[in-house]
Amino acid sequence: MTTSLDVPSAAAATPTSLVGDFRESVADVWAHRELLVQLAKRDIKLRYKQSVMGFAWAILMPLMVVFAGLVVRLAMAYVGGQPLSSSAMGGVVVKALPWAFFVGAVGFASTTLVGNANLVSKVFFPREVLPLAALLTQSFDTLVGAAALALVIPLMGARLSFALLWIVPLSALFFLLTTAICLFLACSNLFFRDVKYLVQVFLTFGIFFTPVFFDASMLGQRWGPLLMLNPIAPLLEGFRVAVMRGHNLLYPLQIVEKGKLVELWIPGSLLWSTACALVGVLLATATFRRLQYLFAEYI
Amino acid sequence: MHTAKIVVENVWKKFHVGERHDSLRDLLPALVRGIAGRRADSTGLDKDAFWALRGVSFEVGPGQALGVIGHNGAGKSTLLKLVTRILRPTIGRVAVSGRAGALIEIAAGFHPDLTGRENVFLQGAMMGMPTADIRMRFDAIVDFAGVSEFIDTPIKRYSTGMSARLGFAIAVHLDPDVLVIDEVLSVGDMAFQERAFGRMRDIVRSGIPVVVVSHQLERITELCTEAVLLRRGEVVRAGTPAECVRAYVEGEVPAAQARSEHRLGRMVIHSFKAEGDGRVVSGHRALVRLAGRVDEGEAPPRRFDLAFRVRRMESGQTVYSSHSKLAGVVLERPGPFSFSVDLQMNVPAGLYSVESWVCDADRDAVLGDGPATHLQVEEGAPFGYNVQLNALMGLS
Repeated sequence: MTTSLDVPSAAAATPTSLVGDFRESVADVWAHRELLVQLAKRDIKLRYKQSVMGFAWAILMPLMVVFAGLVVRLAMAYVGGQPLSSSAMGGVVVKALPWAFFVGAVGFASTTLVGNANLVSKVFFPREVLPLAALLTQSFDTLVGAAALALVIPLMGARLSFALLWIVPLSALFFLLTTAICLFLACSNLFFRDVKYLVQVFLTFGIFFTPVFFDASMLGQRWGPLLMLNPIAPLLEGFRVAVMRGHNLLYPLQIVEKGKLVELWIPGSLLWSTACALVGVLLATATFRRLQYLFAEYI
Repeated sequence: MHTAKIVVENVWKKFHVGERHDSLRDLLPALVRGIAGRRADSTGLDKDAFWALRGVSFEVGPGQALGVIGHNGAGKSTLLKLVTRILRPTIGRVAVSGRAGALIEIAAGFHPDLTGRENVFLQGAMMGMPTADIRMRFDAIVDFAGVSEFIDTPIKRYSTGMSARLGFAIAVHLDPDVLVIDEVLSVGDMAFQERAFGRMRDIVRSGIPVVVVSHQLERITELCTEAVLLRRGEVVRAGTPAECVRAYVEGEVPAAQARSEHRLGRMVIHSFKAEGDGRVVSGHRALVRLAGRVDEGEAPPRRFDLAFRVRRMESGQTVYSSHSKLAGVVLERPGPFSFSVDLQMNVPAGLYSVESWVCDADRDAVLGDGPATHLQVEEGAPFGYNVQLNALMGLS
């Protein structure tokens, strides 16, 4: 091999800021929005094309999580010697749906780049589109599930109130946070196939560190706030408090239960989640942007 | 008027051989090594890295079509992937103004479970085409590909030719600003190839800059306005397609031929040539002569058998091989000889090499390679795809 040739020194990479990367990424994806829609459509079609139950799976998947949660809550109620209230059940249902979205999105999105290796190595388009399409597909499923949920939840004691409007910003934040995690995982799974297995472990154990089947307040004054450090936790609790209690999330919510003060909602925790989501998205897009030119080489 | 342009400026691309730490288990030792200070040497290459492209520069403007030729592994596909932004150069600059329609691999974006129609829209979107525009051109695409009856059938039920035709049709109908094509002029049957070629010519004429990689040298000469010849990642020749094709063909001939004499035991071969400059029309006969002598002496082998084969350069595939022994010709008497091989070139147009070697006629053992020459087969009457060379051999 000839190595005696004059090799010029590597061109200096153009320094870009995190925000610059993010802006570029958004512009590129926006320019390819039709591809995003086409890919999501493809995934939705394919996901149910050869399955017997078809679209019923969109409702069944979160339903499974709900049932698991209800079983856990029933067991807890039985051990604690208290009957399980329907509003407690409602709380589980409200939180199970976003959690099912999270699990599904992370599971699907983290393998999208590797799963579409032929596209990544042969066709150029902003690669963010692949994990984002998986997120959209999962969102579609979740919306179907949410429609079903809207029918059931009033029976469990949800009230119609202005607090329900909180669902919109909470969903947006939840989507943003999931996007950040998905982009990061999709890209790292391309370089290290171990990530796929780590994700499974992370999702399996995640349920213990996320208040889905239980409420953060049940852990008491000491451990409850610690659990809220999980950026997903405040969002899930926010969904529950807003939907089941009709509470405006700008104000704290404390109740007295068995003579003890229980903090059901701390507004500051939402700030923490917001910060995590924003920083997460910036970091994830920047990582993705900077590495995407290596994708075709390493896949 | 088109103003799109492809600029490739002193582009270098480094690749690594084999898998790079695909799992964390491999990464950790590599990191430790990196920290311990085992750096790349002064040339900027690790021991398992190589330059796939070395200082490649060219420009393709409106109305120009650049043909890229070279051996397998010369860096042609890497170059196209850089132009289409799938890869980024290690050093240097690639600038493409406008949307690049790329056919790196035709039908790469097709999903087998989706119908032809769904795939047209998906593929179009992948090339950055608005859905409305695809809808407008949909009928033209389907007509061009000739798959209208099957457009609502999943692609997995298509034949290879059908999906390749559809892929080609999409790419050339989406009005790219620049077009990059890798080895796709040979898809489909003869009729489709003609249509595809015609379409390509129209695209070049309309002023869209085009970069074509193909082993079909005669297509390059017909279609392109300029060419570059790549060898081991370097541009060894840039100029008119005819010049580059000639340089490629000359460089192709194995080094063995450069020697004036081949000595294999008592046999000496001093020339191996095709008559008429090595050009022949498909379906016609080509005469190749081998001249040499058998020296006096007792050294084995006693009897020689001359063997030769015809290989298609484009694919490296051997299309014919035979032995003089089969034609009843065995060389044993000392003295000069002239051996002729008369080939019925019933093969598709292209560049072929004719290679010779010598065997021991008694033990059927190969003694060694003899010289080689080449034949440029030009388009002639259709020959019905029966590759048939029916050599007539004899001493003359």
